[in-house]
Amino acid sequence: MTTACDDARALVPSYLDGELSEAQASPLRAHLLDCPACREEAKQGKTLKRWFEFEPAPVSVPAGFAARVARRAFAGDPGLLVPEPPAVRQRRPLLPFLLLATAVAAALLFVLAVAIQRENLPRSNRLDATGPRPPWLSRPAAQVEPAPAPAVRPR
Amino acid sequence: MITMQELAREDAQLVEEVLGGNPLSFQLLIERYQDRIFALARHYTKSAVEVEDIVQDTFLKTYRRLETFQRQSSFSTWLYRIAVNTALDFLKRTGRSPVTAVEDPELTASPVRAQAGSGVTVAAPDAALRREEIARITQEVLDELPEIFRTVLVLREFEDLSYQEMAEVLGISIGTVESRLFRARARFKDAMIRLHPEFAAPD
Repeated sequence: MTTACDDARALVPSYLDGELSEAQASPLRAHLLDCPACREEAKQGKTLKRWFEFEPAPVSVPAGFAARVARRAFAGDPGLLVPEPPAVRQRRPLLPFLLLATAVAAALLFVLAVAIQRENLPRSNRLDATGPRPPWLSRPAAQVEPAPAPAVRPR
Repeated sequence: MITMQELAREDAQLVEEVLGGNPLSFQLLIERYQDRIFALARHYTKSAVEVEDIVQDTFLKTYRRLETFQRQSSFSTWLYRIAVNTALDFLKRTGRSPVTAVEDPELTASPVRAQAGSGVTVAAPDAALRREEIARITQEVLDELPEIFRTVLVLREFEDLSYQEMAEVLGISIGTVESRLFRARARFKDAMIRLHPEFAAPD
């Protein structure tokens, strides 16, 4: 199969469906006349379409159908098959939300407990007092106001 | 004989009158298209009651959405779009849709057994077959196809829609219409040979 055949076969369905312009259809027809393989392809497509070329059975519309549906439409009838409106949809169940909230609260409590525990641990393994004095102990002694001496009553 | 342009102009006029509150104009619109929509709907269910439900819902939806109708497009194409969607919704709601979102037939390999060069093709319907028999066999084979393939064949072969109209009805490109039709015909051929091997013919 040549490139021309590839191009022709790609156009055959549209040709059989009457979708090609004359400018497109004319060279295709010429190719089909020259190429038995592509002609056979077109013939098969045409044969398949014959399964759809029967006169359909007449449609039986119930009497008064149009008047009835028009009346219902103007009366605001939404029909039988419309999806349920959001307002009447089932609400989301509460249990999954409660479980999730409990799990989150438990995780937060655990983190808080670990943080408190770490705060109470000694900050160093050394037990001597050579480390820097904490600020509340470094106040100069002179600034400490001496306690008033008890008054001595002369005898 | 009324031309397509005159038909479209009359449709547009009727739509305006319906929007103006005239129920008789809507009745006329329904009468104008009810045969075509009934014919379309019966490709999706064999039950006359269900066909009527689909058609009725199509027109009720049409009325509710009439304000959104773009005047520059064809009313009949717009109506077909609502009808096809209503029929497909119906199939889904009744659990009869053979195709689910995760099993998109566009993405899965199509059968190649009956495609060109496979050595087997489909013969034309026997001249001795009655019209009813051809219609029954064709519908039986169509029923085997995933609904997206059935829909393109119905719109093209029975409703005689152009590729452009099909693209508008289905909300897809013309290129997708062409490829979907190609696949649909291959599937139709494959199903025909499987269900009715008496119509298989050597390539």
